[in-house]
Amino acid sequence: MLSPDMTIAAEAVTKAKIEVKNLNFYYGQSKALKDITLSLPERSVTAFIGPSGCGKSTLLRVFNRIYELYPKQTAEGQVLLDGQNILDRSQDLNLLRTKIGMVFQKPTPFPMSIYENIAFGVRLYEKISKAEMDGRVEQALKRAALWTEVKDKLNASGLSLSGGQQQRLCIARTVAVKPEVILLDEPASALDPLSTAKIEELIDELQADYTIVIVTHNMQQAARVSKQTAFMYLGELVEFDRTEKIFTSPREKRTQDYITGRFG
Amino acid sequence: MSTAASLHQSRKRKNGVMMTLCVIAAGIGLAWLALILGALLYKGLAGVSLSVFTEMTPPPGDAGGLLNAIYGSIVMTIIGIIVGTPIGVLAGTYMAEYGRFSKLTTVVRFINDILLSAPSIIIGLFVYELMVRPMGHFSAIAGAVALAILVIPVVVRTTEDMLNLVPNALREAGTAIGAPRWVVIRSVAYRAALSGIVTGILLAIARISGETAPLLFTALNNQFWSSNLNAPMASLPVTIFQFALSPYEEWQQLAWTGALIITLTVLALSIFARSLTGRREDK
Repeated sequence: MLSPDMTIAAEAVTKAKIEVKNLNFYYGQSKALKDITLSLPERSVTAFIGPSGCGKSTLLRVFNRIYELYPKQTAEGQVLLDGQNILDRSQDLNLLRTKIGMVFQKPTPFPMSIYENIAFGVRLYEKISKAEMDGRVEQALKRAALWTEVKDKLNASGLSLSGGQQQRLCIARTVAVKPEVILLDEPASALDPLSTAKIEELIDELQADYTIVIVTHNMQQAARVSKQTAFMYLGELVEFDRTEKIFTSPREKRTQDYITGRFG
Repeated sequence: MSTAASLHQSRKRKNGVMMTLCVIAAGIGLAWLALILGALLYKGLAGVSLSVFTEMTPPPGDAGGLLNAIYGSIVMTIIGIIVGTPIGVLAGTYMAEYGRFSKLTTVVRFINDILLSAPSIIIGLFVYELMVRPMGHFSAIAGAVALAILVIPVVVRTTEDMLNLVPNALREAGTAIGAPRWVVIRSVAYRAALSGIVTGILLAIARISGETAPLLFTALNNQFWSSNLNAPMASLPVTIFQFALSPYEEWQQLAWTGALIITLTVLALSIFARSLTGRREDK
């Protein structure tokens, strides 16, 4: 069964950015996450894999408490961000969300111009001049490898971009507010292979500066982009280890079965 | 092979019969509309002249225009919209955003639907009791309030519906970037639903600009020019009502012309509203 210490020996030198301790999550009466404990190292990519409904997205949505938009969803236990429990009632949610950015499955550009899509988030918490803002927008778009494609049409609607460009715009928007953690909820599942490759490249570059958590249905993607992988099944964390280990010699039979395509 | 062929034949026959019935039904529906519009254009256009827009409603037997009635309709409609729209938009926003999961919203939506289909004469009587009786006289402001009450349920309904069409993913995205709820509503949800909400307001204008019953009990009518909101005021629908039932030819002609003006205004508003909605769907 699970070893009590879920931190990974190889990564022990790196500081844990997020520590989850005995987390339970409920949709009304039904329990969606069962006693999850794991710790995510700083500046590194962690993937959550597992079949649909296993709770991987639910777990991701606890990290920025976005689930609180909906009634009857409750989390119990502890999620420590740099040692601070973010599930505390006293936690300021808007501030938390500036530290923990999120990109969704479907691209969600705001109904405004490309420039405004990025300036919107920055303006919420910083008062900066037009020149500084221009710099921030450019920097964020460059970071998301979108600058060359849109630099001549910053005033065009964000909705006029292609799906893959929209998703990179969403990543740029998230990066622009200078978060510490970036949550990616199946960021490439609605995109074509070329756009997917671009997003994966981007994730690889971003991990130098950010702690990244990615939920994915695509096991090859998890294998390609992540340093460590968590396999979840029916609300439980089955196995959490270095990605090579999970994909080559998993400890658990259920992990092995899932990876080899015997179920899920 | 032959069974398949005969099946095909019988299906073709049924299809032909049903198609004919549908076309006839559609034709009957459209024919009335064409007849009404045709009569309106024929009789109304005959009376269109500059004096319609520059002269007051005349005494029986004299020539004149509809200026005071047009002015009164515009003033009362504008006040009705200014009073009714903010209430409607805010209520719709509460229902779609803050109170989406609350029982209160279900109750308010039910009551709003009743109000939406309430006969407008009842609204007129209500405002008569509420304002005209205590004040002791008919007034334009009472008419405007009656129209505002008609505006509210239309705007509540469209605002709620349009905000509900905004995908939750967009709200989550706004929230995930650290925007407080009111900013998400103002800068993301309203923007995404803007053309729909404006369409609702335009439809509300179209609805109240043709209302007669609520004005009969509140603003009444005025043969003369009056811009005093605290006095009876003329309006196109009430003037049409009065003039069309009169035995005087000049009055009847003005009623036709007035009816044409209202119809064309409402038609223009509807087309404009349609074009707004259409543009949203193109995106």
